[in-house]
Amino acid sequence: MGAQQREYKQRIGSAQGMKKIFKAKEMVAATRIAKAHARVLATTPYADALTQAIGAVATHSQEAEHPFLQADRAQSGRVAILLITADRGMTGSYSHNAIRNAEELANTLREEGKTPVLYVVGRKGEAYFRFRNRPPHRSWAPYSEDTLGSLGQEIARDLTGDLLSEDPASHLDELYLVGTRFLSRFKQVVRASRLVPMQLVDGQNHDSGSFPLYEFAPDAETTLQELIPRYVQSRIVNLLMQSMASEHAATQRAMQSATDNAQTQIDKFTRLANTARQAEITQEITEIVGGADSLSGSGRTER
Amino acid sequence: MSTLEVTFVTSDRTVWSGQAAQVVVPAVDGSIGILPQMQPTLAVLGEGKVRIIDHDGSVAERAVQGGFVSVDSDVVTIGVDDAERLDSDH
Repeated sequence: MGAQQREYKQRIGSAQGMKKIFKAKEMVAATRIAKAHARVLATTPYADALTQAIGAVATHSQEAEHPFLQADRAQSGRVAILLITADRGMTGSYSHNAIRNAEELANTLREEGKTPVLYVVGRKGEAYFRFRNRPPHRSWAPYSEDTLGSLGQEIARDLTGDLLSEDPASHLDELYLVGTRFLSRFKQVVRASRLVPMQLVDGQNHDSGSFPLYEFAPDAETTLQELIPRYVQSRIVNLLMQSMASEHAATQRAMQSATDNAQTQIDKFTRLANTARQAEITQEITEIVGGADSLSGSGRTER
Repeated sequence: MSTLEVTFVTSDRTVWSGQAAQVVVPAVDGSIGILPQMQPTLAVLGEGKVRIIDHDGSVAERAVQGGFVSVDSDVVTIGVDDAERLDSDH
């Protein structure tokens, strides 16, 4: 067998090996999407209940006040961006898109004269900023899919602490979340949204006369104090879970096209190997025929 | 006879949902019993047990630590961080 053929065979072999790995990763991601999506859906009832409860306080109580509800919180000019990225590679453009969105947001904030402060989840985002010599203010990496709930609680606790801090060195004026929303298996969108200061949208007019008297235990102020940090936490946990589901969907897509590419490589090299083999055979025949011709032309009768 | 529509959720799942005759929750300033046609209420929960009592007297009990409960026109929503099943539960 010729050297060329051997070379092609080797390449086909390695492409086949890679294809198997990509295919396996694709299937793993595909099964995890469903599971991750179910976890996203499971957080919805709690979030709905919280939203309703906060709406009730806002509608039925005039003196509802919370630091997170104040429209103008400008104190230190520091604005937090919570960026959610992946821990692992092989996720296509998933982490990159989220990072780019956060960078755009940070630039906009800088133009407005604010100081963006980065809180990053995931090794990819952390590495991106560390490599560019602007390490994130706080990062959580690596993280595990099973403990997203407690991770979200920890993040919410830290952020709430900084948001309420009186110290100008750690006080945060606003909080933005940048993560990937899971719309469906095929569509995920990176979106930046402002969580603090929040706006109460309850769709009802504040005509206190038309509502039955609401009782708050112990009182409206305390209930709001209890509810709002919970709301922040539930939003962060929800976004973490949506991002996780999106990461799996992105992995699946990336691995699918990698599998296709590996197949294209296999096809290409198979064809080249066949051509090389055919060329070798043709050459051998030409040599034999040429040899026979030259023998017959030399006038010798016996071989 | 009117009933309560109860939804009992934690941050990552729905623990219990359905109709009940009476719900007892541990509010921060003392236990609150909720019956049908109660005044709309929003309460902060402390540490203790949530008891959901059905029409036939069967009781579902969960230990909770912090959360909130909202009652509005016989719709009861309980949201807590974590609900632990008690041994006495049937």
